Amino acid sequence: MSQVISKEDLIKWLESLLKDRTVVAPVAADGVTMFRPIARPEDVVYKPGNATLGPKECLFPLSHTIFTVERNDNGVSIVPDTMDREIVVFGLRPCDAQGFAIFDLPMLGDPADPYYKDRREKTTLIGIACNIAPPGCFCSSTGGGPHDATNLDVMLTEVSEGYIVQAVTEKGKELLQGVPLKESAAVPPPPPDMPLVPTDDIVAAMRRSFKDQYWSRLADRCTHCNICSYVCPTCYCFDIRDYQQDGKVHRVRSWESCQAPGFTKLAGGHDPRPEKGAKMRQRFAHKLLYFPEEFKGVLGCTGCGRCVRLCPVNIDIREIASDVQKIGGG
Amino acid sequence: MPSDGAALLPHVSTLRGVKDLTPDVKLFNIEIDDPQVRERFVYHPGQFAFVSAFGVGESPFGITSVSYRKDGLEFAVRKVGTVTSMLHELEPGAKVGVRGPFGNYFPLHDYKGKDIYIIGGGIGMAPLRPVIRTILDRRDDFGKLVVLNGARTPNDLVFADEFELWSEAPNTQVELTVDRGNERWKGRVALLPAVVKELAFSPYNSVAIICGPPIMIKFTLVELKKLAFSDEQIVTTLEAKMKCGLGKCARCNVGDKYVCRQGPVFTMAQIADFIEQY
Repeated sequence: MSQVISKEDLIKWLESLLKDRTVVAPVAADGVTMFRPIARPEDVVYKPGNATLGPKECLFPLSHTIFTVERNDNGVSIVPDTMDREIVVFGLRPCDAQGFAIFDLPMLGDPADPYYKDRREKTTLIGIACNIAPPGCFCSSTGGGPHDATNLDVMLTEVSEGYIVQAVTEKGKELLQGVPLKESAAVPPPPPDMPLVPTDDIVAAMRRSFKDQYWSRLADRCTHCNICSYVCPTCYCFDIRDYQQDGKVHRVRSWESCQAPGFTKLAGGHDPRPEKGAKMRQRFAHKLLYFPEEFKGVLGCTGCGRCVRLCPVNIDIREIASDVQKIGGG
Repeated sequence: MPSDGAALLPHVSTLRGVKDLTPDVKLFNIEIDDPQVRERFVYHPGQFAFVSAFGVGESPFGITSVSYRKDGLEFAVRKVGTVTSMLHELEPGAKVGVRGPFGNYFPLHDYKGKDIYIIGGGIGMAPLRPVIRTILDRRDDFGKLVVLNGARTPNDLVFADEFELWSEAPNTQVELTVDRGNERWKGRVALLPAVVKELAFSPYNSVAIICGPPIMIKFTLVELKKLAFSDEQIVTTLEAKMKCGLGKCARCNVGDKYVCRQGPVFTMAQIADFIEQY
């Protein structure tokens, strides 16, 4: 038997969550879908596949004042940022939940990043299983799957009567207290099929192909627009800069891309990684070689397909995963 | 590792002294304000720390002082970018931030009894100075010490006022060279690699520690190899863009190595083994 919530009760649940929490969910804005705090349950957009922009920002803000520096009579004091509200991320897909699990490895590893940790602990993830896999998706090849509840607190799977509800964690159970669920014979539909991408021996293949001309040929067409990093649920590289506003210094951490000019260039002029091909290789080597080597085989990719769909010159990580397997060595 | 550094929070500190070393390099002496934090801030030659010029940003610098003397944190900073330019504007008494120490360090305990050749080019002398100081303070623990320091011009030799003190130490030799001399310069005018060749350092029971511009390192290595130094005997410290020092910002990696955590000190054997070229 499954536990099912009706669509009406789901709306009521969201309403009650909104009373004392920030609820972030996919909404329609600027012609795309993206995760934003919602004011009411009707703001949520339900459409197949993941949102154009994922919920990475909830835990790792695009631009974040990590502390301010205030000048006073005693000199200088530093005021770190903390988050005071609980967040519920609603309507994310298994790939984006896996994105957070991947983020956890570097960010919560010793010493933990306190800002990420703070947000992570105050965040509950209510996901929705994918019953349809849009083109570009390949999560079943990257250690997850369209019905993978592992990295969520609550998983919802759409059926004709509403949603099958699965409380995955204690946090999820707590959030479901008092929510009316009905026993039902409903069974989830089979997870959708998607083309398989060869990732089994990817680490060895990446090592073999590392010095191949492949990377510079591939990089020739890259425009350095950085959209791949921007939409990636696992890209965590960052920049830190100071800004001054309202008489205070803001130390701001923001997203950065390994494809951006100046990513590795030193003030003195030396750039250890100046070539386009090496920059391109860095992006894929980080996800498919360095990351799994550092973190027990976990790939730095969730198969969400966003970079595949949005790259203006069709650089496709699925093709790369397949191409590098064919490169002999060098 | 200090938890405050992990929070990316600098320790509020006071600039105690500023000294001109060359036309574009200043030596900053910085004291961490909180006495307890100051006491905890123990570091080793080769480690680095981030220095904040509040309002402009923070950058990593090799610490050029030695921890055990407890006479302030020193950084030799060349004016090259926005943060260093701002630091150069500051006067004693100014508040700055310090975060660290980070990274590995020169394994001086492994060098006991060995002859040490220190080869520094330009501002590359900054992380080598604490190595020299430590060796001089424990002179009997090591064999011969040769400091070979090169710079663009005589005015660019960063620790010029310490050469006399260094060379007066027993079994210690200071050799200087410049790319271009001036009317007062009576010393060598030659590039560093040529001087390495001229002095013909002996690889027997010795270690060569190199720091300087990549091009200088590249050609100095060629000469050391000709003298039969092995890659294990040549140690350097790498410079990389970095934002956190914690292995998280993913800016400083060379292949699968993070310069901030596995480095910045590497032997040439380790560097030759990197999958990505530095």
